Amino acid sequence: MQAEFRAPRRRTRVYEEYEAPLPVSRDAEEKSHFRAEFINQHVLVHHPDHIHKIHNQGYFGKGILSRARPDHSISDQWEQHEGLMLPVVTQSRYEELLSWAGSVLYAQGLDEDAVNQTLLGLSQPVDVEDVRREMEGGENGQRREKEVKEEEPGTEGGVCPQTKRPLDESKVEPETKRCNRSESQDLNPVCDLSPSSDQESDSNHDPTSDSDSDSDCDPDPLVPGPGFVLVSDGEEVREVRRCPLTLTEYLQLSLEEAFFLVYSLGCLSVYLNQEPLSILQLWQTFRSLRPDFISSYAAYQHFRSKGWVPKTGGGAKYGVDLMLYRKGPPFYHASYSVVIERVDDEFRGSGLRPFSWCSLAALNRITSNVSKELMFCYIIYPANLSEVELDSPACLSKLKVQEVIVSRWVSSRERAEQDNI
Amino acid sequence: MSCVTVTNMAEHNMTQSGEKFYNEILSPSELFAAQSRSHKLPVRGQKDFYPNDSEEQRQRLEQSLEEHWSLISEERVERLGNLVKATWIPSEKIVELQTPAGKFWQTMGFSARGKQYLHPEEALHLMECGSVQVFYQDLPLSIQDGYERFLSSSTVSLLQYQVFAHLKRLGYVVHRFDPSSEPSSYARQLNLPQSCNKERRQLKRKRSASPTPSTKSTSQAETQKESTADIMEEEKCSHEEDESKKLPDSDLKTCSETSDTQTGPADSGGGRTWWMADISGDQSEHQPASGSPRWHFSSISFPDLGSSERHPSCLFPPDPSLLPGSLAVGVCDITPWRSRINLRQVKMSAKEQKREMDRGRRRWDINRDKEVRRCRNWAEYHKLQARREGRRKGQPEHLWNREVTPLHDPSQPIPTAELLETISVSKSSNLLEGASRVKASDQWRIRFNVYQPDTVADFKKTNPGRPYCRMCVCSFSDPVPDLRAIKQMAVQSGDIQVICAVVDYGDISFYAFKDFQLPTDVYP
Repeated sequence: MQAEFRAPRRRTRVYEEYEAPLPVSRDAEEKSHFRAEFINQHVLVHHPDHIHKIHNQGYFGKGILSRARPDHSISDQWEQHEGLMLPVVTQSRYEELLSWAGSVLYAQGLDEDAVNQTLLGLSQPVDVEDVRREMEGGENGQRREKEVKEEEPGTEGGVCPQTKRPLDESKVEPETKRCNRSESQDLNPVCDLSPSSDQESDSNHDPTSDSDSDSDCDPDPLVPGPGFVLVSDGEEVREVRRCPLTLTEYLQLSLEEAFFLVYSLGCLSVYLNQEPLSILQLWQTFRSLRPDFISSYAAYQHFRSKGWVPKTGGGAKYGVDLMLYRKGPPFYHASYSVVIERVDDEFRGSGLRPFSWCSLAALNRITSNVSKELMFCYIIYPANLSEVELDSPACLSKLKVQEVIVSRWVSSRERAEQDNI
Repeated sequence: MSCVTVTNMAEHNMTQSGEKFYNEILSPSELFAAQSRSHKLPVRGQKDFYPNDSEEQRQRLEQSLEEHWSLISEERVERLGNLVKATWIPSEKIVELQTPAGKFWQTMGFSARGKQYLHPEEALHLMECGSVQVFYQDLPLSIQDGYERFLSSSTVSLLQYQVFAHLKRLGYVVHRFDPSSEPSSYARQLNLPQSCNKERRQLKRKRSASPTPSTKSTSQAETQKESTADIMEEEKCSHEEDESKKLPDSDLKTCSETSDTQTGPADSGGGRTWWMADISGDQSEHQPASGSPRWHFSSISFPDLGSSERHPSCLFPPDPSLLPGSLAVGVCDITPWRSRINLRQVKMSAKEQKREMDRGRRRWDINRDKEVRRCRNWAEYHKLQARREGRRKGQPEHLWNREVTPLHDPSQPIPTAELLETISVSKSSNLLEGASRVKASDQWRIRFNVYQPDTVADFKKTNPGRPYCRMCVCSFSDPVPDLRAIKQMAVQSGDIQVICAVVDYGDISFYAFKDFQLPTDVYP
């Protein structure tokens, strides 16, 4: 007998607007092709525009410094100061950032004097007028910068991780400012470029987008873009200073998400050491990283083909393989917790994760406590699938997917109800 | 509770053996004591969360334990006259009632050979409730005896009994599951009533001249026992349908009578094939003078050709003697009719739509293209083609020029619904698919049919209707059903949900594994 479909629960407060179900264009003018790097067994997207599109249209991936969408900023607290919206950091934090910048400069081989001078120059209080001037100047520089950026997306990605990783920084992409929460930041690596006009033009990566969005919703406070912070010393005094470091955040895609974008949508290319990987190579690489990649990818593609958003990483939180969302996590609570099982032609399971009644009861309890439904997704492999066939994504069409809902029936409660479980 | 009572009775036996025979009948003073004892359950107070070795806590614990012990060790007192007496027949593993059954008869037990019987699990449950006293060789059986004798692998195991008793105590109606007595799919198509027995009885009454074989008269007994009896019943049912087709032969004289017999009580009307009713309709037209035939249209059931159940590919012709005049009707092949009903709009996949578009495109004359007209020779035309090709952006070589290409080309936008269709490469399956290949195993056999308690008021044992669910029983230390087991359960049950009762030393939890197809969500 069929299980009843229960409508997903909408979240009470929705902060986002829905852009598109998938990051492929629906009209002929837009061109959407994205780039990701395969570094250290992780798939990372660096380019801010790509990050924005990939995440906002379909909710793929996760910012590596954030909980879900990449929204790391240097401070959680933002204030208005003479018409500008700036993040606020404490004096001690600012000094900490300065010292980090110093050690990076040392690592680059500058001698002590040079480092001290640079830091001194950086930490001078900046006049608000200068900030505005830089912003406008930055607009022109920004376009230049953007072209440069597009030609060599690799270099930034290449350089930054090297210098940044010991300091645990990463790139954050600028986002369009929303009325309620201002978040855009694109702070550049001070260390990479010589401190002068380059830095300034770099530092204003996308002020147009910021100022545009500013003017849209809130004419008063302007976000001067990256590179400026408000340093407070604990009380009322606020000073505008340059931020010595920039933090950029990458978007990390899981293996299934990356393969889906490459194979099913054809809109992503994954580069390993600057060489793009073909679909077959990607499939084989991922299979070698994860033995049950085929099953988990088949389930992922199946749910995507139904228009739902599966998020991986539910394991640590809910003990299952996937969480299914309608439209996306910001809009609805997850409706289903999915456990992926692999069965052969005789429907016998090899038990990716063997269950006992004890563990099934526990998982069922957890799932119902978070108001979700437990679903088992069985991937049925036909008997005659050879190893050669499994080595190519063409084998997916031979697999079958069976969904089963597991629910607990309470005998004493059901007495009064005629309805289903 | 029953176990403790048993030991109590056993102790009673031993202590009193020296003095007098074990006497169940109470003296007046004992009776009075039993009647006036408190009926209240011990009240549970607040929980203490950890032992603190205080005297007060110890006292409270002791008092609570005393209350519980005295409650459990209470002996049940029943009026001898209220107890229904029965005997245990080990050879057939059933219990035969000697005195008439009480209220429980509405939902439990069965009649056979003119007597009333109970299944062993039903008898044991009633013994525990204090409604029935079962004798064996003229001696009453104790509860312990009941557990030992009635529960076995050939009747009902202990685990299954625990589930049975649990559900009965909550008020559900629980019957044994018998796969052979489930209506076949053909019978379901014709909406045949579930039971043959009732119908047979009524038919026997109403028939005037019955050319029935002698077996009919002796088979009045409505046995609901499993094994050969049921199979015989089924054969009789189908046999009888054939009979009923020939029936109106004898009744052709009076149309109204015919119509009466055919469409009389709802069950018997439904028991005939629909051809009968149709033909009689013709007859009524031809003989209006015989008075308005009383057609009970609600009881005339036609085969539902539109249903998705599997139909036999043809309908048999009716008896030619039923047809008026020279009308000859052959076998009706219903497959062409079925192909014309329940049509759905064909949804073309992306490839098919593309094919359609291509077909349309070819009708367009290439000479109408201005750019093509501007080409003066083949070389220029090739260049034009190459340029046009180049304008198709976004086809990186490493994706498109290799063995495996992406499923979708982002430079050719298609609506979301089509895109989802393109992406769905793996097929969805449902539980019944391939389930016939799976051999039935004993572990996952369905044991009981369970009916909701609020149907008790008008519950009829001979026609219980659709159960609320069916039960499988397993122990907590058994493995969880894999897909194979779930399919086995689905095949046995048909379209009624199957619930697994998991028994953990008396504690029972129920889990259901249901088929599901996630609906496609296209947004916008």
